Amino acid sequence: MIPLAARAATVPSPFNAEQQKRFDEGFQRAVAKYPPERRRAALLAALHLAQDELGWLSEPAMAYVGHLLDVPPVRVREVATFYTMYRLRPVGRHHIGVCNSVSCWAMGAEKILAHCAQTLGIQPGETTRDGHFSLEEVACLASCGTAPAVLVNNFRYVENVTSQTMDRLIEKLRGMPGQEMTPGPAARLPGHHHQAATTAADSGSTERK
Amino acid sequence: MTKILTVDWDKPESWLLRTYGDYQVLPKALKMQPQQIVDEVVKSNLRGRGGAGFPTGMKWNFVRKETSFPKYLVVNADEGEPGTFKDREILLRSPHLFVEGLVIGCFALDCHLTYVYCRGEFREGPVKRLQGAVDEAYAKGYLGKKILGSAFDLDMHVVFGAGAYICGEETGLLESLEGRKGYPRLKPPFPANAGGGLFKQPTAVNNVETLANIPVIVEKGGEWFSNIGLVPKNGGTRLFAVSGHVKKPGVYEAPMGISFRRLLDEHCGGMREGSVLKAIIPGGSSSAIMTAAEADWASDFDTLKAKKTMAGSGGVVYLDQSVNMAQALANVMRFYAHESCGQCTPCREGTAWLSRLLDKIVAGEGEKQDVDNVHQIARQMEMKTICALADGAAMPAKSYIEKFRADFDGLVRG
Repeated sequence: MIPLAARAATVPSPFNAEQQKRFDEGFQRAVAKYPPERRRAALLAALHLAQDELGWLSEPAMAYVGHLLDVPPVRVREVATFYTMYRLRPVGRHHIGVCNSVSCWAMGAEKILAHCAQTLGIQPGETTRDGHFSLEEVACLASCGTAPAVLVNNFRYVENVTSQTMDRLIEKLRGMPGQEMTPGPAARLPGHHHQAATTAADSGSTERK
Repeated sequence: MTKILTVDWDKPESWLLRTYGDYQVLPKALKMQPQQIVDEVVKSNLRGRGGAGFPTGMKWNFVRKETSFPKYLVVNADEGEPGTFKDREILLRSPHLFVEGLVIGCFALDCHLTYVYCRGEFREGPVKRLQGAVDEAYAKGYLGKKILGSAFDLDMHVVFGAGAYICGEETGLLESLEGRKGYPRLKPPFPANAGGGLFKQPTAVNNVETLANIPVIVEKGGEWFSNIGLVPKNGGTRLFAVSGHVKKPGVYEAPMGISFRRLLDEHCGGMREGSVLKAIIPGGSSSAIMTAAEADWASDFDTLKAKKTMAGSGGVVYLDQSVNMAQALANVMRFYAHESCGQCTPCREGTAWLSRLLDKIVAGEGEKQDVDNVHQIARQMEMKTICALADGAAMPAKSYIEKFRADFDGLVRG
């Protein structure tokens, strides 16, 4: 097997030095969880790590991760487009996911979603023009006893939400920098449905939303 | 009332080892013959808590019979069935109970490498708690080389997905764990058999709650556990994750087989002020709906199967009179249409078609024929696909219409 450093040298890294350090640490930990001949299994983890650094999965990031794990580009893309937590274009620096599965729906999630849409001036699936917020309707978060539930920035649960608590949350997030997005194709802006910037493969994944 | 899984939940910092205490059952288990442990689990009538209700002891015997090594135990912590939120609570509130059960399970199966596959959204919350427990367990010698001075070695890794309901299906989970998209595999070979499991090796895939029951079964014996269940062949207690229009939603531990009426009145404080019970989702959104008049049904796997619904994941949703069941079904179907992985045509096309028809009906643009079509399409999706997602979409579609037809007819023309 070619040493890691030698392989990486052949595909440019999308990270700056600080990002590279964090990514490398996480990557070594992720790969170490599997038997050496099964290191490709770390693909999902490696994509998470890349997205943690860049905010989304750019083409160079996918190429780099695929190269490190010796996974063909088509396989990387297959995985990146299959799972909803991976972003194939920049989203807002703060991402608000409102659960609208059955328990949350019964407890008024549609009102919460509509309220957020009105407050932010965007529809679910869109990003505000200043790039600060995106809004999305998400599937069951396993938080049904504290419905309606909201997931902020992929991992933070906010539960028993009301329109008032969402207002306070949005106000608070306005003052926080959030996840910096590596520059790339335009995010989905209001009234701007990404025809120009969308690649053929991207549209496959947006359709699933 | 007997509590097994929730005994520590009210204690402060219940997730730490100093609250849980030293593992008491593991030393005993390590002195037993592995087959003895499996025999107790068989006697306990423990049924898989993820949804299928498959007898855990039987599954473990399948794996034990295989002669191909290594063998794996993989934990399904990809909790995502709408209405279900109990595994998240176990990971947050008593991860050590689960880890102790997992170590005993691995010993019983002669497994030396185990993975816990959590849904990606759990990464900062439940996964961190679990990882903290794993670190404590390694430090104490409950994991790693020569556990508690025995000859048994075990490594445990926590990994996570990236947002896909289908990875809760055990073979979709294995695909995902191997680093691919979560397309379920055609069975046989089943995961327990050589060729069907993780990296094609014999693999037991068990739910978090299932494994959290193992320590008490080894401690007190399978018969003790079995007798807790109110219905034969359904041992133990189970965690009911209750949501909807009840006074006190939450996770409640009750004997397997408790009726939905008792669960509502004795644990959840009844329906909330002004709410009258209209419908019950008994075991996650994939289960067939129940009417208020059916609330006296027992909640065990076999009773509900005989009633043409299922105990499923223990996610119970009580819905009140404000809910129009056609609208509820439209919501449920949007979920399945979104989460169908697209591998099998009846599911990919069927869920999307049902969703379109139901959206049309709730928009007031449907006709009576559309309701009939929903029912017929659902019937044609059953038993035709690699995994059970299509059946899980068809069951609510058929039952909502059969039991609440008036809600649909009220919305359509003619």
